[in-house]
Amino acid sequence: MTHEPTAVTTAAPAVRTKGLWKIFEHDGIVVEAVRDVDLTIERGDFVVLAGPSGSGKTTLLNMIGGLSRPSRGRIEVDGRDITDLTESRLARWRLDRVGFVFQAYNLLPVLTALENAEFTMLLRGIPPEERRSRVEELFAEIGMEGLEGRRPGKLSGGQQQRVAIARAVVGEPALVLADEPTANLDSKTSDGLIDLMSRFNRELGTTFIFATHDTELMRRARRFIRLVDGRVVEDERRDAPA
Amino acid sequence: MSGPWWRIGWRNLGRNPRRSLFTAGGLAVGYAAVVVMTGLGRGMVAEMIGNGTGILSGQLQVHAEGYLPERSVHETIGGREGIDVDALVGAVAADPTVSAAAPRLYGGGLVSAGDHTLAAGFVGIDPAREPAVSAIMAAGETGRLPGAGENELWIGREMARQLDVDAGDIVVVVAPAADGSLGNDLFTVAGVFRSGLGDVDASVAFIPLDALQQLMALPPGRVHEVAARIADPWDAAAAEERLLGELATDFPGTAPRAWNRFQPEMVEYAALFESMEWVIIVVVFIMAVFGVANTMLMATFERRREFALLLAIGTTPGVILRSVIWEAFVLGVVSLTLGAILTFPVLVWWHNAPPDMSWLYGDFTMAGGLIRPVLRVEYPPEMMVLGAVALFATALLAAVLPAYRAGRLPPADTLAGR
Repeated sequence: MTHEPTAVTTAAPAVRTKGLWKIFEHDGIVVEAVRDVDLTIERGDFVVLAGPSGSGKTTLLNMIGGLSRPSRGRIEVDGRDITDLTESRLARWRLDRVGFVFQAYNLLPVLTALENAEFTMLLRGIPPEERRSRVEELFAEIGMEGLEGRRPGKLSGGQQQRVAIARAVVGEPALVLADEPTANLDSKTSDGLIDLMSRFNRELGTTFIFATHDTELMRRARRFIRLVDGRVVEDERRDAPA
Repeated sequence: MSGPWWRIGWRNLGRNPRRSLFTAGGLAVGYAAVVVMTGLGRGMVAEMIGNGTGILSGQLQVHAEGYLPERSVHETIGGREGIDVDALVGAVAADPTVSAAAPRLYGGGLVSAGDHTLAAGFVGIDPAREPAVSAIMAAGETGRLPGAGENELWIGREMARQLDVDAGDIVVVVAPAADGSLGNDLFTVAGVFRSGLGDVDASVAFIPLDALQQLMALPPGRVHEVAARIADPWDAAAAEERLLGELATDFPGTAPRAWNRFQPEMVEYAALFESMEWVIIVVVFIMAVFGVANTMLMATFERRREFALLLAIGTTPGVILRSVIWEAFVLGVVSLTLGAILTFPVLVWWHNAPPDMSWLYGDFTMAGGLIRPVLRVEYPPEMMVLGAVALFATALLAAVLPAYRAGRLPPADTLAGR
């Protein structure tokens, strides 16, 4: 598999949005989910998007990750304007530059933990030996050793989310987008996962952006952005490390 | 990339084994239907041609050039001078595909017994050579074959019934002779046969060649035909080509003809059956394609979130499409394996021991060939391959729409359950 090289401007921020809108229309009802959001997120940041349900957090996250297209405005990620990329180019760009962690774990049930974690590397054409060694190394770091051969159905929620995080970071993307990654977990498991992501953020310099209601995650964020009705109403930078 | 997709396809089929088994079973039955039905069709054609040529006519005949189609009594091989019959029979039998050859003389006239008289066709045969050429010689019911040089007849069961005679009875035979006179003599019914061919059983009488020559005032060197047996009827056309060249020098004025030229209706029937094979394969797999497509649509619809996830983490729509096609390919492999397990034992069984269906129907004739009441199957090798290709094409074709739809899912909306 060949990939188009991703043009990266090293001085560029991790994410920059300009006049971003997302408008849904269904049965004549128009909903402005994201309204005129201008945002710049620096590389290596650990950012939380907070706000009540329906405030536009997930929609904004999806647009930053190229899963959903803006109705108006532009998005640059890592210095590349992704607004008008075709579906195939967007998919390849996501493969190379973005890792995703979802609330519902979203592992492929027919693959083992190891196969799930290595899946993006498989798509990138990385040889099996290298894939396996990187995943095994990572699994050892996140306390998943010995569980490589288990299918998701045989793993606990916390273990599944660890695999999902491993899948998101194993390809060393520039950006990890996590939508309510701790929502289905107990507080102890949740804290452990936050520690894990915080460690990847510090050690690999990966930019993390969360959409969450989790107060612990909000507390650990170095930048806190609150959205209400699709608009940024609060944008606070904190000195405390994640 | 094929390795993982093969594995994933296989595991996905295993997620709902009953549904996968039913779908694969449907394709397997389709494959079995195509192969067995075409095998049966070919068995019927082989039966028709085998019996149509083997019972009486032979797979190849040599005549004088002008003999057909009028079949004049005077158009004997070698003209009025006649021919060295043994030499001609030997030359024909020397062809590598010919297993036996025998001379024949044809005539027509009346057979009478008591108050009964019938019109009959007479076939003069060499009682020593003819049984190796014509299967009808083994169809005797009563009595025996006529003996060389004897005034004996071998007649069909229907003729015997109409004349009210049986083996050992005396009949009067009257036949126009080649010199314009009317030959007549007393003959003994040596035996009665039943070929299953209605016309033959009712109106053909076999007479020793020399006795018929004498009746028709023809010298020993004058015969109308040398008939030859060729084990595989489809070799006859090539034998005709060879003999055309080989007989031209030593036996000028002779014309060898393969069965497909003197029984063209059989060739047409074979061609008809061949075209029916295409109809069968198309109909069976068109029916299958809708069933498989429905299953694949259901299977992919149930996994919408997984496809959305794959798209989200960077799988391109093209790779998604290929992954579903791979799954269909795996389904094809399973189906073909099942199909082979289902098909080949039946095929081998019915080829080697055709089930007797005489409890359901009797002999019947088609294009002059006798079809016995058995389910004879001939191996249809190219249909086995074509059926497999059609099976895979069906599985893959049925996956195209579900695969296309899976690759076009909006990942964000689908993951959100919208």
